[in-house]
Amino acid sequence: MGVNDASDHAGLDDAALVRRIAAAPGGGDVAAETELYHRLAPRVRLYGLKHLRDGQAASDLVQQVLMLTLERLRAGKLRDAERLVSFVFGTCRMMVLDLRRTGARRERLLDRYAGDVPMADPAASPRLDRARLIGCLERLSERERSVLVMTFYDDQPARDVAVALGLSEGNVRVIRHRGLERLRDCVMGGGPS
Amino acid sequence: MSQPGCASPIPAATLLEYWLGELDEAQEGRLDEHLLGCGHCSANLQSLVDVAGEVRAAVSAGAVHAVLTDAFVKRLAAQGLRLREYRVPHNGSVYCTVAPEDDLLITRLDAPLTGVERLDLEHLGEDPGLERLRDVPFDAAAGEVVYTSRIERVRALPATTLRVRLLAVAPSGERLVGEYTFHHTPHRPGGSR
Repeated sequence: MGVNDASDHAGLDDAALVRRIAAAPGGGDVAAETELYHRLAPRVRLYGLKHLRDGQAASDLVQQVLMLTLERLRAGKLRDAERLVSFVFGTCRMMVLDLRRTGARRERLLDRYAGDVPMADPAASPRLDRARLIGCLERLSERERSVLVMTFYDDQPARDVAVALGLSEGNVRVIRHRGLERLRDCVMGGGPS
Repeated sequence: MSQPGCASPIPAATLLEYWLGELDEAQEGRLDEHLLGCGHCSANLQSLVDVAGEVRAAVSAGAVHAVLTDAFVKRLAAQGLRLREYRVPHNGSVYCTVAPEDDLLITRLDAPLTGVERLDLEHLGEDPGLERLRDVPFDAAAGEVVYTSRIERVRALPATTLRVRLLAVAPSGERLVGEYTFHHTPHRPGGSR
């Protein structure tokens, strides 16, 4: 195992991290792997949430994609470091199809690699202050609040919210965009005054 | 694929469209790849997803006042939330309470809404947190206005009588659509609804 500190790698771009990992076969540069993992894990998790709509499945995707990615990098099989995103993207797509079909691959991979790659909980993002958010929701117009609640409660597209509320799809998009901007401004700005 | 900044940041509205599955396949694929390679944009998407999650949690906790639809309320019930629902006939009244185990309080006001272009909902009585809700969304064909109230606020009320009025608002003035009376009593263990 390498002795580099993770902070040494924070200033490196991803391609440089890929080259470091490839130059230390067998998982020799733990700090570079950890840094790359911490960058990629939240993005892969979002990809998983988007396409699988399930938090556990998204976490599984993170483990599987990053295991394969690190395995490939350690083996020096990604010839062009700049192609990392394309590789991760392709792997995500393949794994999502796989996860939809069966969970067998997950078990196999976890058995083989568990404990061998840096793991973190990419789901752990900073929590919003719920009381503040509720106060900010109250400040929205009735239409903005209804549209945002119906949109976000179970990720309803504008078309469905429009039908439910007897509005046009375009109108819902406008209300939704305006409401979201106002809500985020309020939440990020410290809450309702 | 470096961490900070983005040469072509994705607007929040587009991120939301992506999340809700409103983009076509080609657009979605481009965003998938961009987000996997961009810490800046994926962090923006994550903050949006966090807001959505908190809105969802706040609604599930009965902490949001919002005008909803019948279909949306049915989805809430289907997801296992315990709803206390009161339907109030046009110009009618109801005896009501809220039990500790209730997750959400749903009110349905029967109302003749044909021809109404803008509807305001006015609270009269002892609920200081709510006054006149302007331009509430409604589906005229449904002949009802459905809303959820902040359940803790209602739980805290003493025995009281509250009135709600629906007002149709037009350039020529406003007219009363319906008036509804709620005889609220605090929940008593073992008491009737």
